[in-house]
Amino acid sequence: MIPMSGFGPSDYSAMALSVKVALTATLLSLPFGFAVAYLMTFNKFRGKIVLDGIVNLPLTLPPVVIGYLLLLLLGRNGWIGRTLLQPLGIEVIFTWKAAVIATAVVGFPLMVRSIRIGMETIDRGLIQASRTLGAGRLDTVTTVILPLSLRGIIAGSVLMFARGLGEFGATIIVAGNIPGVTQTIPLAIYEYASSPGGDVMAMALCGISITLSGIVLIFHEWIGRRMDRAG
Amino acid sequence: MKSIIRKCFYMATFILSAVSIHPASIDLSIAASLKEVVTELSNDFANMKPAVSFKRNTGAPGALATQIENGAPCDIFFSANADWADYLMKKKLADAGSISVLAFNELVFVGKSGLKVNGLNDVVTLKKIAIGSPKSVPAGEYAMEAFTKADLVGRLKYKLVMAKDVRECLMYAERGEVDGAFVYRTDAAIASRNVKILFIVPQRLYRRITYTMTLTGSGAGKKEAADFYRFMHSAHAKKVLVKYGFAVK
Repeated sequence: MIPMSGFGPSDYSAMALSVKVALTATLLSLPFGFAVAYLMTFNKFRGKIVLDGIVNLPLTLPPVVIGYLLLLLLGRNGWIGRTLLQPLGIEVIFTWKAAVIATAVVGFPLMVRSIRIGMETIDRGLIQASRTLGAGRLDTVTTVILPLSLRGIIAGSVLMFARGLGEFGATIIVAGNIPGVTQTIPLAIYEYASSPGGDVMAMALCGISITLSGIVLIFHEWIGRRMDRAG
Repeated sequence: MKSIIRKCFYMATFILSAVSIHPASIDLSIAASLKEVVTELSNDFANMKPAVSFKRNTGAPGALATQIENGAPCDIFFSANADWADYLMKKKLADAGSISVLAFNELVFVGKSGLKVNGLNDVVTLKKIAIGSPKSVPAGEYAMEAFTKADLVGRLKYKLVMAKDVRECLMYAERGEVDGAFVYRTDAAIASRNVKILFIVPQRLYRRITYTMTLTGSGAGKKEAADFYRFMHSAHAKKVLVKYGFAVK
């Protein structure tokens, strides 16, 4: 029933899907992550602590909780699901879109944190200088803050992508386990690990997972050093 | 003062003696679909023999067998097929002579009552269907067997949501996140009102669903486990199984 070695089509699609989901979630989160980090670093406003709490909550919450809350929100009987998604004919739960949303929510705080760290190291004098020289707020963001926080943005994206590759708890609840459609590497490993004789395949996929994570980490290091040299 | 010390002494002896009587504990690994019936029967047994207590672990039989293979404590293994019991026997983890048939069941398709689905051929028109993961859930294996016999596997590809056990399958249907699910008739009986049995999968399409009960290596050496094993074959046990909708012959 289970091949002794060699991946089947559903295993390859699990690998491709993992990368696709993590990449999409990261790219979609990028503008929001930048905006939130900017707000938190350079602005004082009411409810800042609340926003900080909401953004960081997924970092400490069990992913299962996030998955379940998303299901209650987006499901067919859910709040957003019934009032917005169904009238528009959009199906989210048990599709790869749900996996993207779960991954985005879980990884978002990691991205915001890294970008904030990047922004906090920017010399405030440079920002003030650009403002006194006549640059508008938006101008300052695009010509001073964005390039100077690039390192944090890249670090945050890489971190979030890596976290996305491993997302399991929230994903299995909202995206289910559909081979070839929503089954990512962690879900496939979970399935193999709970089936007798699935050890070989589980181990093989663990190997793929370790390799992918290794590549991401090496890339992270490499880009960091390159930017050090450039800076 | 003296009386207080005496009281303390009595209390201490009482607590210590209570701890020193080890009630025999029987570890059960139970197929998800048998959860309620085995819980009731093990409670009946514990009422008869207060010295016996149970630890019940439920899940997909394939997952349970994997746990046992990896050293999870289990005295009696309940499965919705014979395959995983045979698997444990091959690995010398189960008592060779003890595999016995406990009950039978039927595969049904549940979904929203308004759905126009009267047979397997209508199922391919739906968008999402939940089955147990065939790698470890017998209900999913039986369903795949029926799809293969009916030559529908290709048309169901990418529509099958793999649940970790048959009860998760049912839950997906109850919540309405899938159009329908393949579960046992006994699961459908405890389903909420928003889903109902839409059709019964014809028996000619799959092997008869046969529940087996097996003593593991540790269970075979435990008198209480062997007693409970026999109790599960008693007339009383059969009556309770029938009450929950299982066939016993």
